[in-house]
Amino acid sequence: MSGKTILYVEDNEFNLKIVRQLLSRTSYRLIEATDGEMGVATALSELPDLILMDIQLPKLSGLDATRTLRADPKTAAIPIIVITSFALSGDEQKAKDAGASAYLSKPYSPRELLQMIRKLVPEN
Amino acid sequence: MRWVAGLKVSVHAKLLAGFLIVTLFFIGMGVMSLQTIATMSSQGQLLDDAHERVHWSQEIQHALALQMNFTAMALLLRNEATVESILRENNRFSNTLARLEKAAQAEEIQLIQRIRAAQGEALTTVADIANLVRDGKIEDAMRLQLSKEYPIYLQIEGLVNQLVKHERDKMDRLRSSVAAANRKTLLLLASSAVVLILLALLLGFVISWSFILPVQEAHGFLGQVAKGNFAATISVPNRDEFGVLAERMNQMSRELHRLDESQRRGSEELKRLNEQLLRASKAKSEFLANMSHELRTPMNAILGFVEMLLDDIYGEIPPQFKEPLTDIQVNGKHLLNLINDVLDLSKIEAGRMELAVSEYSVQDIVDTLKASLHSLSREKGLEFVAVAQADIPLACGDGKRITQCLTNLAGNALKFTREGRVEVRVERQGDMLLYRVSDTGIGIPKDQIENVFAEFRQVDATITREFGGTGLGLSITKKFVEMHGGRIWVESEPGKGSTFFFEIPLRVDGGKPA
Repeated sequence: MSGKTILYVEDNEFNLKIVRQLLSRTSYRLIEATDGEMGVATALSELPDLILMDIQLPKLSGLDATRTLRADPKTAAIPIIVITSFALSGDEQKAKDAGASAYLSKPYSPRELLQMIRKLVPEN
Repeated sequence: MRWVAGLKVSVHAKLLAGFLIVTLFFIGMGVMSLQTIATMSSQGQLLDDAHERVHWSQEIQHALALQMNFTAMALLLRNEATVESILRENNRFSNTLARLEKAAQAEEIQLIQRIRAAQGEALTTVADIANLVRDGKIEDAMRLQLSKEYPIYLQIEGLVNQLVKHERDKMDRLRSSVAAANRKTLLLLASSAVVLILLALLLGFVISWSFILPVQEAHGFLGQVAKGNFAATISVPNRDEFGVLAERMNQMSRELHRLDESQRRGSEELKRLNEQLLRASKAKSEFLANMSHELRTPMNAILGFVEMLLDDIYGEIPPQFKEPLTDIQVNGKHLLNLINDVLDLSKIEAGRMELAVSEYSVQDIVDTLKASLHSLSREKGLEFVAVAQADIPLACGDGKRITQCLTNLAGNALKFTREGRVEVRVERQGDMLLYRVSDTGIGIPKDQIENVFAEFRQVDATITREFGGTGLGLSITKKFVEMHGGRIWVESEPGKGSTFFFEIPLRVDGGKPA
């Protein structure tokens, strides 16, 4: 059986590792991108079922990448969870304005992240 | 005026000199008056004398007339008594003439001598006539009288008349000269009085204006100084006390100018330093904000791995690892709270904190509070009550920040209370919401109440060790309350407990409740 594909756009190796290990025991298939531009390119070529987008990325910010993907009809419908390290009131609104389906602030609990992923794209 | 002002003499001396000049003139006038009086009195004496002389000359006239009369009578009566009368009148004539001669002038003396000579001749003739009468030669006597004596008498009469006229003329001249002198004196006195008055006025005017001018200058100058023009100077021609005063004023102005300049420089320096300080402070806050972000990424990894370990993502962990892993998790979360607080505060200080204003329900806030503090209160065995007044309408503000404030206050209350209860109440008071958090904890000493909202402050260091906490919670709470346009305060009694209050507008957008 082929699981659902999740794209994680993140530049920090340890955070990538957490999600990699978190999803290793599930049926989700993880693909990774380490900057905003690469994230957009990968999303357009792979068309994943869900995108986890860090807000602070090299080359292109997570918010701008989200806006770009929302503007493209091919990716416009893909759910995007925006992850930020600014636990501030304004960021949630900015993420929503950019087109995020959900918002999670760092440090997030892996357990909660998994719950949120399962809610948006059930495993099977 | 300027000349008087410029005299290098004291004000005192100038005033004395002015008065002295007027007084001297006055004395001069007095002396002149006395002299006039003396002159007038001596002229009166002269007039009296002249009058007397006129009188005497008239008496001579009279004596001559009687003499002529008695001579005529002697011819008719032929008695000795009448002859004697002639001699008596002759004596009177001679005596009076002698008196007149005493104080006579040259021309008068000449006249008098001529009279005397004629009189001597007349007397000789009278004696001859008397002898002829005595001898009974009446015819001869009468002839002699007519031919010789009578012409002599006429001659004497002419001379005497001349004398009388002379004396009278002299008296008239004297009288008119006295009158002229009196008029002149009067005129002199009157004009002196006028000059004296004018002089007094002039001196008064000049001296007083030589004082008034510098005073006016000083008035203008002090007005300038009072307005803050410390570069002003005063210039007066005076070289007296006013001159000294003006120089002192200039010294004062120079000193003020110097002080003003240095104060201005100081304040500019201060302003520059202050700007530097502000820039430095802002840079510090931005650095802290960035640092906090940089700290969160590794924190995310640490807490993420620990949670996954505890969740058995890597397989079941040995039971003896559970406790140390939980300790790592608790301390990691505490560290995260610290980072969050520092981030909030530095954002507020950098002026980058903004409220996300929207509608919120007070009941939701109270429910969130109860959920997040439930386990802590149960662990400490404390009664925890959180109630919102039932009929509060939807409020408007940053609900998340208000929850943070209330959680900070209630969390502190639970931390600092060993036994008893913590109570949270929210009520509406008109357009305001009053939040109240009371505890039965250790309380705050009176002298430290002022400090509780300051950053990094706790009542004392031992409490930090015993109860934990960053010391940032209250100052962040205060800032958020103030950003909502509210205020925060505390009432406390050490040993009995504290009550924290904060009051914020029901709707920070100023609109009416929905």
